[in-house]
Amino acid sequence: MDQADIDVRNATYRQFVEHGRVPTTAEIGDALGLTAAEVLSTWRRLHDAHALVMDADGVILMLNPFAARPTPFVVEAAGRSWFANCGWDSFGIGAALGVNTVIRTTCADCAEPLTIQTRDGLPLDPSPVFHVLVPAVQWWDNIGFT
Amino acid sequence: MLVFRSEAHVTNWLAGRPAGATISIGKLAELANAWWGTRLSPDWRPRTREESQAILDRIGLIGPFWSLG
Repeated sequence: MDQADIDVRNATYRQFVEHGRVPTTAEIGDALGLTAAEVLSTWRRLHDAHALVMDADGVILMLNPFAARPTPFVVEAAGRSWFANCGWDSFGIGAALGVNTVIRTTCADCAEPLTIQTRDGLPLDPSPVFHVLVPAVQWWDNIGFT
Repeated sequence: MLVFRSEAHVTNWLAGRPAGATISIGKLAELANAWWGTRLSPDWRPRTREESQAILDRIGLIGPFWSLG
């Protein structure tokens, strides 16, 4: 990953946070003086480097910790609702934005709604727990399942 | 990577399958702050595996389960 790739990565994240949606290849290209095809090929390299996650059709699914599609992890932060990819990422959105959050999800066992407020990066109610099923060495074997 | 009301709910959800690792959400928040805190920084650079492992180690997530390889 060279500096040009990092510039595309940073512009993609910046526009995602600014607009609350994945930018188009044209929007990133306009910002950086690249063609849409160049942006798409860069996104593929970033995917291969685990800097973002795309599907086989070239659609961005994850700008971790942000999810680009609806998930069971909704995070209210910085005046907007975001989707997170998993429990870990749901705390990551507040960490990335540097703001307090309200995380809304459900217990994966009983489906009871869970609302977790964070202040200064820590949960106000520490009673819920987090379970990781997949060992760390296998996390990127199937990031969607992880 | 899921959230549960309590450890008892994790056990129920596993239904006899081998458990992974369960941590408090306080520890999870600590991990998330260290892992994602610089994600939107203009100075962001990709972390090496060793740097990511060092974060896990620093949070106290050590042992074979938490080894990145």
